[in-house]
Amino acid sequence: MARILVVDDAAFMRKMVTDALTKGGHEVVGEAGNGQEAIARFQELKPELTTLDITMPEKDGLAALKEIIELDPNARVIMCSALGQESKVLESIKLGARDFVVKPFQADRVLEAVGKALA
Amino acid sequence: MSATAEALERLGQSSAEACSGVLEMFAPGKVSTGEVSVPKDFADAFATVPVPAVAMSVSYVDGVTGGNVFLITLDGAKRLAAAMMGMEEPEDPDAPELSELELSAVSEAMNQMMASAAAATATALGTEVEIGTPDTKMFAAAADIAGAYPHTPHAVRIGFSICGEPARLVQLVPNAFVVRMSSALDDLGAEVVSAPNPATAAGGTAGPAIPSLAGIPVRVWAELGRARMPSAQVVGLPPGAVVELDRQADDPIDLYVNGTLFATGRLVVVDETDWAVRIEHVLDKTKTSADSGMEVARWPESW
Repeated sequence: MARILVVDDAAFMRKMVTDALTKGGHEVVGEAGNGQEAIARFQELKPELTTLDITMPEKDGLAALKEIIELDPNARVIMCSALGQESKVLESIKLGARDFVVKPFQADRVLEAVGKALA
Repeated sequence: MSATAEALERLGQSSAEACSGVLEMFAPGKVSTGEVSVPKDFADAFATVPVPAVAMSVSYVDGVTGGNVFLITLDGAKRLAAAMMGMEEPEDPDAPELSELELSAVSEAMNQMMASAAAATATALGTEVEIGTPDTKMFAAAADIAGAYPHTPHAVRIGFSICGEPARLVQLVPNAFVVRMSSALDDLGAEVVSAPNPATAAGGTAGPAIPSLAGIPVRVWAELGRARMPSAQVVGLPPGAVVELDRQADDPIDLYVNGTLFATGRLVVVDETDWAVRIEHVLDKTKTSADSGMEVARWPESW
């Protein structure tokens, strides 16, 4: 059970991730639709974990991840990416992301990644 | 069949499989793939699309004109969105356009399909294919569709049925892709004759590859072990330094196929000079690199 911030530019994906996390007993404390918003919400809400989409307008997930890790080096962040973005996934792991899930994903996969990151 | 037509058809087949894989996750049991065809001319690729239709396109960004356009009827888009949200029927089946959440759902499905199709195209071409951000349009008249997209020398048309409604993927193919695909196919013709079937060599447990993908060259590499250290330590490594890897000398080594951990085996020497790997265990094919968390391995750019 953790307080989680969900970041994705697609309202539908935010709903999917939120539903999955809520069913798993977590509390989604906030949502953001781009990297800029994600950083603002992160500072304001201090979530225990953040899920971060990679491809987003304004500021993408990698740039947001970098700033979040600068704000809190211990921040737990899980990246969500579409297929074919292996290089970006690798970069995000190097930047400090705890794990990643590849879209399209099943609810169980999200919960498993969250569980591992919180352990 | 001409080499160009064959290349285009293979490209279409692999994209069709990639797209239906994504769709099947969003709308299980409600997706079937129809015919893959190479239309005579550009306009023909978009002919007879039922309207009103929702269209979503992505362009390639590596300097060539081309990309993918996915078209689905408005009713189909509503039904797909409903299926994605676990509903049997759309909330408002008679609405003249998609609600914000429906549009977001369908865009996301198309987005992920396009990423998957681009990844399949990259595999077919043997080079990375990057795509731009998706663009969504609504069409009320079929005659308007072809003019809305950049003209390319080749196109492939793939039919789908999604939630009982017709849908279509049109691949807008630049000449450069056909040239690369054709030469990859030629290389393959030469290799297939001389090389043993890799699936058989691996113990025959891998199962038959999908026919349209069976001929596509893949990158295979073996990994002895890994190490993790601070960057400052890496740049300071003098010649003669020893980097310890995370494996014991008697541990099996990993065999990767295009970044996916495929099998484990033992390093052996053949002909007294060449390294080779004897496969011990072919991994369950459902276990991909993505499932196992951090196991991402890429082919180094310089190879």
